[in-house]
Amino acid sequence: MSCNCNKEEGCGSNNSRREFLLTGLLATMAAVGCSDEKTPFTPQEEVALSGQKVKLLSVDGEIIEVDKAFLKPIPDLPTLTNSDERKGIPGKKFVMVIDLSRCKNLKKCQSACNHMHFVHPGQSWIKIYSMQDSEHSAPYWQPTTCMHCDEPPCVKVCPVDATFKRQDGIVSIDSDRCIGCRFCMAACPYSTRVFNWEEPVMPEEVSKQHYSCETSVPQKKGTVGKCDFCPDMVRKGELPHCVSACPNGVFMFGDMNEDSVTNGAETFRFSDLIKDKSGYRLMEDLGTKPSVYYLPPVNRSFPYETGIENQAAEDLHHH
Amino acid sequence: MENLTSLSSQQITRDLVPQKFGRRGMIWTGILIIICLIGIYAYYRQLKNGLVVTNMRDYVSWGIYISNFVFFVAISLVGSLITAIFRLSNIHWSTPLTRIAEIIAVSAITFASIIIIVDMGRPERLLNILLHGRLQSPIIWDVIVIGTYFFISVLLLYIPMLPDLKIMNEQKNITPGWIKRGYKFWGGFWKGTKEQFKISNRAIIILSIMIIPVAFSIHTVTSWLFATTYRPGWDSTNFGAYFVSGAFLVGAGGVVVAMYVFRRYYHLEKYITEKHFDRMGKALVLLAFLYLYFNINEYLVPAFKMKKPEEAHLTQLFAGEFAPLFWFAIVVGMVIPVIVLLTKKGRKPLPMFVVGIMVVVGAWFKRYLIVTPTLLHPFLPMQDVPQSYKHYFPSWEEWAIAMGSLAGALLIITFFVRIFPIIPIHETIEEQKEVTDEKVTSQPQLKEKENFIPVTTGGLLAKRQ
Amino acid sequence: MKMLMKNNYIILLLPFFFMLLNSKTAAQEDSVKSEEVVKLKYYNENNSMQYLVTENYLKIGKKLEPLNNKPFQLYLDSVAAENFIAKLTTDKSGKAKSFLPTTLKTIWDASPVHKFIAVVPGKEDETVAELEITKAKIQIDTASADGVRSITVQVTKYENGEWLPANEVEMKVGIQRLGSILSAGDEPTYTTDSSGTVTVEVTRDSLPGDAKGNIILAAKVEDNDMLGNLLVEKNVGWGVPTTYDTNFFEQRTLWSTRFKTPLWLLFMAYSIVFTVWGTLIYLIFQLIKIKKLGKSASV
Repeated sequence: MSCNCNKEEGCGSNNSRREFLLTGLLATMAAVGCSDEKTPFTPQEEVALSGQKVKLLSVDGEIIEVDKAFLKPIPDLPTLTNSDERKGIPGKKFVMVIDLSRCKNLKKCQSACNHMHFVHPGQSWIKIYSMQDSEHSAPYWQPTTCMHCDEPPCVKVCPVDATFKRQDGIVSIDSDRCIGCRFCMAACPYSTRVFNWEEPVMPEEVSKQHYSCETSVPQKKGTVGKCDFCPDMVRKGELPHCVSACPNGVFMFGDMNEDSVTNGAETFRFSDLIKDKSGYRLMEDLGTKPSVYYLPPVNRSFPYETGIENQAAEDLHHH
Repeated sequence: MENLTSLSSQQITRDLVPQKFGRRGMIWTGILIIICLIGIYAYYRQLKNGLVVTNMRDYVSWGIYISNFVFFVAISLVGSLITAIFRLSNIHWSTPLTRIAEIIAVSAITFASIIIIVDMGRPERLLNILLHGRLQSPIIWDVIVIGTYFFISVLLLYIPMLPDLKIMNEQKNITPGWIKRGYKFWGGFWKGTKEQFKISNRAIIILSIMIIPVAFSIHTVTSWLFATTYRPGWDSTNFGAYFVSGAFLVGAGGVVVAMYVFRRYYHLEKYITEKHFDRMGKALVLLAFLYLYFNINEYLVPAFKMKKPEEAHLTQLFAGEFAPLFWFAIVVGMVIPVIVLLTKKGRKPLPMFVVGIMVVVGAWFKRYLIVTPTLLHPFLPMQDVPQSYKHYFPSWEEWAIAMGSLAGALLIITFFVRIFPIIPIHETIEEQKEVTDEKVTSQPQLKEKENFIPVTTGGLLAKRQ
Repeated sequence: MKMLMKNNYIILLLPFFFMLLNSKTAAQEDSVKSEEVVKLKYYNENNSMQYLVTENYLKIGKKLEPLNNKPFQLYLDSVAAENFIAKLTTDKSGKAKSFLPTTLKTIWDASPVHKFIAVVPGKEDETVAELEITKAKIQIDTASADGVRSITVQVTKYENGEWLPANEVEMKVGIQRLGSILSAGDEPTYTTDSSGTVTVEVTRDSLPGDAKGNIILAAKVEDNDMLGNLLVEKNVGWGVPTTYDTNFFEQRTLWSTRFKTPLWLLFMAYSIVFTVWGTLIYLIFQLIKIKKLGKSASV
C-alpha cells in the first residue's frame, strides 16, 4: 500500500496531460513554499490527475495542496488502450527469481493467483511440482509460473497475435483476439498454459468488465489463459499476487534494468543473487530464454517432507 | 485394356452415366445422413457448453479432432498421386481411377477444413485469421496451402469433366431437372472443338504439375504443426517426409476401397478391371514399404538413444497403454498389407478391398497415435491437476463429430457419384479408340508395355487431340 | 461384467462419500474463528505529506479477507466534532486513505503526540481502532570520502518543544527499486544509535541508474510503534547511466507481431503465393476463354 515506489527518469516526463505522483506533489509543495528539498525525480507510477486541488495539513503543521486523485488509497491509473497493453511498460524488463530452498508446497501463491484471476476450479496458472531429477537425488518442490521467455515458442506459433511479447518482457494474452486453436499450448514446453474449456465461473460484476491484457480478467470461454506477471499490480507499485502471498519469500520479482528483485520483505541485487546462489533457468537447452530464474534447493529452510500433505499422493516423487 | 476393345462409345456411355440410388443406395445415404445429424447435434452441444463436452483437457489439448484432421489431409493427397503423377508419367491404366481420386481429395480437404473449425475454441472468430493473420505461424501456412490445394483439386476435378458434361447434356431422361440445369450451367459451353481441347489439355497439364508441390506442401506443413514444437515424438526433422509417405499410403488405400465399391455396385467390371487392382496392389506394396521405412526411421532412432523425454513416450507406444493401437497400426496397416499384396492372389479385387480397409483404418489410428500420446508426455510431470487431465479418451461428442465428419466426406462422394460419371466417359472412349487403332496397326505384345513407357507430356497432349 | 458391477457400486457410493466430505469441510469452517480487524497506519513522506490508511479485513484462521465498502470515521485525539479527520469507505482491497484537513492545525500543533481514533458512524462511543503517533522527521544526507560513499540518515522526534534524536529506530536504507528498497550496504536493515543516526557505507557499485546515471536513495521506517511509517528520498548521480535496449522489441523475428515478420519469410511466402495463385488466375482466364470459344462455336 505504500504510495512510493520506483522512480525513474524518462518515462513520459514530457507528457503534459499525465503527471506523476511525486513530481506533481512536490511541484505543488514547492509552489506553496514548504518543501525543504526539490527533487526532480519522477516515479514510475502514473496517475490520472483530477485537476482539483485539496488543501491538507503537513507534518510540520503547514498547509499543502494535493491533487484530489491522491486521496484514494490507490490513485486511479490512466486507462490503457489495447495497444498500450500490447506494448508494455517502457524501460522495464521484468524478471522473477524462485528460491527452491524456501518452498514447502504451501500453495499460497497458487490460491492467491487463482483467486485474483478467477481461474477455473481445478486449473491453476501456478503449479507446484514434486520434482526428483534422478533416482538417487533429493526431491524438492518446484513452483512454476509462465516463464515469459525471450524467445517464446508460444508466441511464434500464434496465428493471430493473440499472445504476444511486450517490450517489458511479459508474454501476454488478448482473450478478445484468441481463436482457441491451442497451438500455443502444444508449443509451450513448460505446460504453463490452461484453456477455458467451459464458461469461467466468476461474479457477474467481474464477467461484465472489459477484458484487459494486463489483469487477464475476465477469462473467457474457449480461450487460453496463463500467468501474466501481474503488470497491473506493478503499475500500482505493488508486487504480483504470488510474490506477496508467499509467507516464505520464495518468489522474488523485479526489473532486470534496475538489477534488483524483491519478495516484499527482502530485496536483492539480481546479478549478485544469481551469481552467489548459482541461479539457473529451466530447460536452457531449448533456447527459449526464460525470464524466470531458479535458485537450487540447497541449505533448505524446510525438509521436502513438510510439503507432502499438500500434494496428491500420485503426484509425489517424479523423476 | 483388351476387354474394352469390343465396346462401342454408346455402350460405354450407357454403362457410365450416373444412376439413381437403388434401395441399397438409399439405405447407405440415409445412414450417412443420420451419422452426420448426430455429429451436428454433438457440435451444437459443444457450441453451447464449450469444448468441455470433449475429453480434451490442458495436457491433451489436441485430440481426435486434430488426428481426424491429419487423416483427412493425408487421404486427400491421393488426388495428386493418381491424377497428377500418373497422368504426367503417361500411365494410362489409371485413367478410370482419376475422378475417384479427385473427388476423394476434394471431399477430404473440405472436411479437413471443417474439422479444424470444430476444434477451435472460438469458431466465430475465424475471420481473425484474415484480419490479424501472422505469417510466422505454421497455422497460417497451413491455411494458405490447404486453400490452394482445395482450389487446384476442384479445378482438376472440373476441367477434365467438361467433355463428360457435354455427354451428360446430350442424355435424355435426366431427372430431376436441377441436375440437368446444372450440367447446362457448368458444361453447356463445352462444344468439344479443337481449340477448346487444346486449352483444356494444357490447363490439365499445368494443374497436374502444380498440384504435386502443393500436395507435398499441405502434408509437410501439416506435419510442421507438430514438428515445430519441442515435444517428444513430434520434435523430428523427418516429419514432413514421414507424413507425405503415410499420406500416399492411406490415399492409395482409400482409392482401392472406392474402386471396389463402385465396381461392385455400379457394375463397372469392364472399366475397373482386375488388372487395375493388380497394379494398384503393386503400388500399395511400394507405398507401404515406403511408409514402413519412415516409421522405422522415426521410432528406431530415438529408441536407440532413449533420451529421457522420449523414453516415457516410446515405452508407452511399444509396450504401454497405446501398444495395442500402435502394433495394430503397424501390423494391420502396413505389414499384413505388404504380405498379402505380394502374392498374385492377394491382388484380386476382394482381398484388395479388405487390405484397403485395413490400410485406411490402420492409418486413422496411426494419426491418433501421432497426436495424443505425445501430449501425455510433457517435459514437466503431469501434477497439480485433476485426475481427468492425466488421461484422454474421446467423449461421445468427439466420436460423434469425428464419425459425422467421415460420414460427411462419404456423403459428398456419394452425391457426386449420383450426379456425375465417376469413370471419365470421354477419356475412356478416347482410350478405347487408341487401343483399337493400335490393335490394328501393331503387334499385340507391345500393347501391354506401351502403358508403362513414359512419354513426354507433349506426347500426351498430341494424343488427346 | 463383475468389474462393471463393482464400478457401478463405486459410482453409487460416490455421492455419499462426497456428502460426507462436504459436511466435514463445512464443519471445519464453522470451527475456525473469524474475527473482524480494523487497523490504522500512519505515513509520513519526505517530512511533509502525511496520511492515514485504514485497513479492514476479516481474519478467518490464518486467512485475511479484505472487507469492501465499510464506512468509518476518523478523529484526532478525541471523538468530537472539532477533532474530525475524515469519513471514509474501504475499497476492494479493504483499504482507505485519509489526509488531515487544515481545520485541525491548532490541535495538531498543540501536542507532539497524537492519537488517531477510528469509529463506525452511528456508534461514536465505540472505538474500533486507535493509533498513537509521535511527530517525527527523517533526514537523509550523503558523503563521499576516499572513494567510499556513505549515506547518513537521522531520525528526530518532537518532544518537549524540540526535535530530539530518536534511537532504536529500525529502517531500510538503500536504493529505491520496483516495489522495494535495495539495501545500500550489507545489512538488510539498520537501527539508529543514541544520536538518532544511521550511517551506511555504500557497497553497491555500478548499479544501473537512469539515462543520466541518477538513482534514488531512500530511507524507510516501517510500522514503527511510536513513529509509524516514515520515508525520505534523495536523488543522487551514483548510478551507471543506462539506456534501455528497445532494439530487441523492434526486431523482425519469428515471435514478433505480424507487422514485424522477418523479411526472408515475407519474401518466401509472397513469392510462392504469387507464383501459384498467378498461375491459378491464368487458368481461370483460360476457362473463361473455353467458355467464350464454346459460345462462338454455337453461333
